[in-house]
Amino acid sequence: MKTRIALYGALREADASGHVELEVPAGSSIAELRELLAAHLAEHAPAIPAGLVRRSAFASAEEILHNHRTVPEGVELAVLPPVSGG
Amino acid sequence: MSDLHVAVVERREAMLDVAAALDFVSDSRFGGIASFIGRVRDHNVGRVVTGISYDLFEPLALRMFRAIGERARAEVDVPLKLWIAHAKGDLAIGDLAVVVAAGTPHRDEAFRACRLAIEAVKHEAPIWKQEHYLDGDSAWSEGCSLCEEQREAERHDHAGHVHGH
Repeated sequence: MKTRIALYGALREADASGHVELEVPAGSSIAELRELLAAHLAEHAPAIPAGLVRRSAFASAEEILHNHRTVPEGVELAVLPPVSGG
Repeated sequence: MSDLHVAVVERREAMLDVAAALDFVSDSRFGGIASFIGRVRDHNVGRVVTGISYDLFEPLALRMFRAIGERARAEVDVPLKLWIAHAKGDLAIGDLAVVVAAGTPHRDEAFRACRLAIEAVKHEAPIWKQEHYLDGDSAWSEGCSLCEEQREAERHDHAGHVHGH
């Protein structure tokens, strides 16, 4: 399935469109999605530091999705680098 | 809920409103109001800062602000009115970045609710700060990881250190 991931903060610089779309096997975990995104960025956005995806969280508009969660179908996700509000 | 106001305010449209925040948390039951106002400062780690851009994942940020409000309410366990507003977009030096205000019957609960809320906003809400420097360079602040495994690892690395940002 195709999963669209919105980019925020430093990860916006990975793609000017503000998102990436990955082919993700149904039933994949967030940990697996993290590996797919890291590999995608290593190829398409080599300026992004390799460790940044490891330190990032995935989320829907409703909640943070931790590593053990299954990638939801048909939902746009967001990848959230370390936060620095306030 | 009418006791909790959360907002993300695009800077182009408006500046955060401190008077509105204090008004919102005022109540005839309340003798104490505590507030925190975060402003854009002109330097960071030895570099001259000329402005800041805030990026937010807005739907989740607003949800988290509400959850933080409920956590503050449970923590102080007294009547509480709370205002949490964060700016978005391009801010100049001196602009307001964040406003938190808490109204409660007495000062201790107001201070505690305000502190809990601002710390949670800084460390947990999906907000990113990009600093712009005098030399034309820009950089995203390093920030706090929201990834639970990473947070755990960083907690061990930083044991005994005070969180500086």
